[in-house]
Amino acid sequence: MSDFSRIMVFAKRLMRERLFSTRMYIMLPILLLFIPGMAWGFSDPNIVLPGGYQPESPMEVLFYASLGVVFGATMCAVLLSYDSVSRERASGVLELRLSQPMPRAHQALAMILGSWRAILMPTWILLVFSVLIVRYRMGDWPSVGDGLVYFISTALILLWYVLFTLLASSYTREQGTAISFGVGLWFLFTFLWALVTTMVAYASGVSIGQENDAAWVVLEGGLDLLSPNGVYHHLLETRLPQIERGIEAWQIWMMALAWTVVPSWLFIRRMEKILP
Amino acid sequence: MEEVVLRLKDATYRHSLYAPLPFKPWRKVNGQGIFSANLSLHKGTILGLVGPNGAGKTTLLRMMAGILPLQEGSICDSEKNSSTVLSDVNLRNMVGHMPEQVRWQGRKTVRDALLEIGEMRQVNESRIDGLLKLVGLRSRIDAPLNELSQGMRQRLTLAAALLGSPNILLLDEPLNGLDPVAAAAFIVLLGKLTDKGVSIVISSHQVEGLVGIIGRLALMHRGQILAEGTMLEVAEQLNLEKRTEVSGEGKVPDFSKYVSTTELIEVEQSSGQWRAVLNKSEPGLLQNLVADGIDITSWIIRQPNVIEMLCAATGQSIEDVGLEVSSTAVMPLRNFRGEEE
Repeated sequence: MSDFSRIMVFAKRLMRERLFSTRMYIMLPILLLFIPGMAWGFSDPNIVLPGGYQPESPMEVLFYASLGVVFGATMCAVLLSYDSVSRERASGVLELRLSQPMPRAHQALAMILGSWRAILMPTWILLVFSVLIVRYRMGDWPSVGDGLVYFISTALILLWYVLFTLLASSYTREQGTAISFGVGLWFLFTFLWALVTTMVAYASGVSIGQENDAAWVVLEGGLDLLSPNGVYHHLLETRLPQIERGIEAWQIWMMALAWTVVPSWLFIRRMEKILP
Repeated sequence: MEEVVLRLKDATYRHSLYAPLPFKPWRKVNGQGIFSANLSLHKGTILGLVGPNGAGKTTLLRMMAGILPLQEGSICDSEKNSSTVLSDVNLRNMVGHMPEQVRWQGRKTVRDALLEIGEMRQVNESRIDGLLKLVGLRSRIDAPLNELSQGMRQRLTLAAALLGSPNILLLDEPLNGLDPVAAAAFIVLLGKLTDKGVSIVISSHQVEGLVGIIGRLALMHRGQILAEGTMLEVAEQLNLEKRTEVSGEGKVPDFSKYVSTTELIEVEQSSGQWRAVLNKSEPGLLQNLVADGIDITSWIIRQPNVIEMLCAATGQSIEDVGLEVSSTAVMPLRNFRGEEE
C-alpha cells in the first residue's frame, strides 16, 4: 500500500467514525433547516429583503443561502472535530498511534481529511438539494462556474474551521478547552468580526457603515480577508457582477490559499512534535 | 550470552515544563526525564524495569518506542554484529508498544479498532483474527469498545502491540486490570513470545509476580538506571548476598550469640512464633541453633528480592523509596519561581 493510499484509508476510517456519530445525527436536522431551508426561503419569488431588494439570479440566492453554511455547517465542523486529538490523547489511543511506523505528518493529514470530509459530504449533498430547490422555484440553474465556486468555497470554509479546531484539539489536554476554543473562534468570526471592523474603522477615521463611502467599503473588504467567513463571502462575491469592494480576485484566492496552507502546516508541525 | 538486539547509549530525554515569568510567559525549563541511560536488550529475553513512581520507566519505554525523541545519545540496532543508529521510524517498525491503561471507547468494534492500528502498520487483515484469538478476545470481535471491561481493554492493547510481529515488545504496566487467571495466562503468553525470539521489556509495579520470568532486571530511580543485569548480576553489583530466613516456635533466640548484629536484618515475633532474616547465609548457624534446643520450623536461603535490591541501589530505606512518591509526583525539581533546583 502506498503512503497516499494509506493516508486515504486512514482518513476514510476517521470520516466514517464521525459521519455516523451521534453528534452528526443531532446536527443533521440543523443543517437541513439551515442550508436547503435558506435556499427555499431566499428563492421565494415574493421575497423582499431589507432595503426592498429582491434576489434576481440563482447565484444571488445561493449567495444569501450561504448564511446557512456560515451559521450551521461551520459550527458542525467545530463540533465534529473538537475532540479529534484531545480525546485520543486522554484515552491513551494517541500514544498507541504515535508508536506506529506511519509518519506523524501522514497521520495528521489523514486526520484533517477525515474530519473535513465528515462535514463536507453532508454539506455538499445539502448544497445539491439547495441548487435543485433554486432551479425548482426560480426555473433557472446557476452557471457551471457559479456552482464550482459555490461548492469549492464552501469546502474551503469548512476546511478552515476543521483546521482551527484540530489545532486547538492538539494543544489542549481537556476536551472542554478544545471546544471552547473552536466555538470562541466561530463566535469571533461569525458575530464579532463586524465589531472588529467597526473599531478599526473608528480608529482610522472612516465613517462607519456608510455603504456609499469608498473608504468604508475598501476597509471592510480588506479586513474581511483576515476572517475566514469574510474570505468565503469574497469568494462567492466574485460571481456577483454588481459587487465591487476594492479587492481583486487574485488577492481573495491568495488569502484563501493562505488560510488553507498556514493552519495545515501548523497542525502537521504540531502533530510531529506532540507528546502523548 | 544472548544476542543484543537493541542498545541505548547515553540516551537522554528531559521533559520541558512551562515556567512562565512576567515578561516571558512562554518560558520553559528542563524537568525530570531520563539521564544518560545505557541499556542492552537481549534477544528472547524479558527485561524488567523496576523503580518507584516517577522513576522514569514510562518515559524510557516511550523513548524506546520512538515516541519521545532522544535529546542526547542514541539507540542502536545491534543485530548481527553491526551497530546502526535507529531513526524514530525504524524503531517504531521493530517495536510493539503497549501503553499503560488505554481506555478504548466509542461505538466502533474491537475488530475495527485493531484494523485501524493495523492499517498504520500495513498489517494483513487476516492477522487480526489470529491476534484476537491469541489474547482471548475472539468472542468479543464485534463488540463495541464501550462494552469492554478494563481487562478486555488491556488485552486489546496487547493485541495492538503485537500487530506487525514486532521483534521487541514494550509493555507498560501490562497486568493492570487483569484478573489473576488472565494475568497468569498473560505470563505464559510472554514465555511463548520469548521462545520465538521476541525481546520484551516490562515495566510493572507487580514485579514480584514477574520475577520468575524476568531474565534481566534494570533498577531505575530518578531517571537513572542504577543497575542492570540478571538477578544474580544485579545482586552482585550491589554487594547483596543470599538471605537466610529462619522461623521457629517459642521465644526469639538471642542471635547475638551466633551472628554479628550487622547481619541480622529483622526479627518478628507473634503468638509464640518468631521469624528472623539474616543478610547472609551463615554456615553452622542451623547446627548451633538446634544444638541449643531452639525449635526451628523453617530454614530458607533465598536471593535478595527486587525491593531489597532497589533499596540497596538507591541507598535508601523502603520508606524513603516508597514515600518519595509524594515528592516525585510534584517533580521536576523547581522552586516557586519555576527555576530548576
